[in-house]
Amino acid sequence: MNTILLQVVNPNVNVTSILPEVIVAVAGTLVMIYDCFAPKQKIVTGAISLVGLILATIALFALWSGSYDFANAWNGMVAFDNLRVSFTLVMLFVSAMTILISTVWTEREDVPIGEYHSLLLFATVGMMFMASGNDMVILFLGLETLSLSTYVMAGLRKSDLKSNESALKYFILGSFASAFLLYGMALIYGATASTNITEIAAKIGTANFPALLLAGGAMLLIGFGFKIATVPFHVWTPDVYEGAPTPVTAFMAAGPKAAGFASFLRVFVLGFPVVAGATATNYLHGSWVSALALMAMLTMIVGNVAAILQNNVKRMLAYSSIAHAGYALVGFVGAGVAKTSEARDGAINAVAFYLLTYAVTNLGAFAVVTLLGEKNDRRTEFEDYNGIGFKAPVLSFTLSLFMLSFLGLPLTAGFIGKILVFGPAIQSGEPLLTVMVVVAVICTAISAYYYLRLIVVMFFKERLTEWTEPKIPITLATVLIITVIGVFGLGLFSDRVLSIFKTSPTATKAQLK
Amino acid sequence: MEPNLATYLGLSGILFTIGAVGVIYKRNAIGMFMCIELMLNAVNLTFVAFARYYGDVTGQLFVFMVMAVAACEAAIGLGIFISFFRNKISVDVDDASILKN
Repeated sequence: MNTILLQVVNPNVNVTSILPEVIVAVAGTLVMIYDCFAPKQKIVTGAISLVGLILATIALFALWSGSYDFANAWNGMVAFDNLRVSFTLVMLFVSAMTILISTVWTEREDVPIGEYHSLLLFATVGMMFMASGNDMVILFLGLETLSLSTYVMAGLRKSDLKSNESALKYFILGSFASAFLLYGMALIYGATASTNITEIAAKIGTANFPALLLAGGAMLLIGFGFKIATVPFHVWTPDVYEGAPTPVTAFMAAGPKAAGFASFLRVFVLGFPVVAGATATNYLHGSWVSALALMAMLTMIVGNVAAILQNNVKRMLAYSSIAHAGYALVGFVGAGVAKTSEARDGAINAVAFYLLTYAVTNLGAFAVVTLLGEKNDRRTEFEDYNGIGFKAPVLSFTLSLFMLSFLGLPLTAGFIGKILVFGPAIQSGEPLLTVMVVVAVICTAISAYYYLRLIVVMFFKERLTEWTEPKIPITLATVLIITVIGVFGLGLFSDRVLSIFKTSPTATKAQLK
Repeated sequence: MEPNLATYLGLSGILFTIGAVGVIYKRNAIGMFMCIELMLNAVNLTFVAFARYYGDVTGQLFVFMVMAVAACEAAIGLGIFISFFRNKISVDVDDASILKN
């Protein structure tokens, strides 16, 4: 009791440890204030947001390579490890690219641009706290900051029925899932008397109420499963992704998914480890590993098979994002069964790398879909892509490249990403996990159908209506250049990126000492 | 009978179940949202019960956070419902049916 009182009176405030988050939050606030005084502006808030995100990235790298002792920062509520820094990098990248992609949309339609940019930055802060929180309170607050901002972003096209419906469904199902997540947190707190992940991991072997531990784990699984869109908790995904404005969909498919994985990994892999001699805890570990393995298989099968049946490109990409969450879960399960902490960190890095490759490919693909979508995203059916291949060579060749990367063609980012996430699961040698990898490979083969279909439609179908190539604005060209370089760069030089991911902040500290 | 930890946990479990069933059963968006609030309050009860049981303030602090978030959720949720109502003159979720396979 006394230690708790002391902590409340004398908290360890260490702003340096959350500098990237603080920078993005300040940028978001600045954007909001600026928007009050100059509501008609077009580029200023975007520029402030981009500068904020770039500064936050610099701060992140400074933290990553510097020597700091953050062990007790915020009384252990903030983590400082590979998991945090690598996922934060993915989120900052997604956010910056989304701002560039949105320029097409904000110019075409009368979007309240300042509001949009501040919401996007606040969503980013929420995501970053989901990666950096080492306490369930922080994870929950980060998740809600992210979710509340994205609910509004999905419904930003106020007079469009699709957008309204998307926001309504996302809001109701999202808060429903949050309630489950929260109940899980309460039960875990009840079993271990702590909300800190490190303390939970330490106390879980001697938990007071083992039954509560299992119930809490199941509730958390449901809550996180909703957030990262895994089958059977995926029903909201296609509707929400189709109805939301395309740049927002691009953001939702890449950013919040990465953030959800970051929290999910932290709570389950780091918070619920195997404890020698503790039957209930090991039962919990065994059950979540098998539950996630089953969920991964279902997610891959349902996501890929349903994607085949779609006639709308945004909907197809929504199912594809479900399928990709399944592939990432394969790496997650691999991290769960890892015997040593090196193997575990390696698997976590593989998941982060996979989500980075997915984010790069996804943002590039959605950039093209945004440009071709025209006002209110009218042109997003497959037939709207008929025969545009040689009329708009830049757009169609880049889009084809992204489809091939989604599919996992060698030399592209998607291929290396898949190899890396499947690796740890195969190495474990457990039958269930081997079956899971086999399913993953078969599903990859199935996915060829719908990814290649888009390429076939673009290059080999006759276009019956009049169509002129849209002009590619400079911001979108930037996104396309960065993502194309990213697809090849991550595919060819993956070891360099991975070695950056592997550089653990604490290991650097040890070297310097 | 003196109320003990199990009583509170049982009550919060019942409240949470009522809320969850309500969300699935109700068709009115505002009714669904009220059921979600009921679920959140069931969670709060769990937190407070455990905080009291362990003599630990963390659970009570968590409840403050949940309440603050629930208030934000209400503000945003009602905003979304109103923008839907403006276009559809209804807050029935069955009317939200344009996006389908």
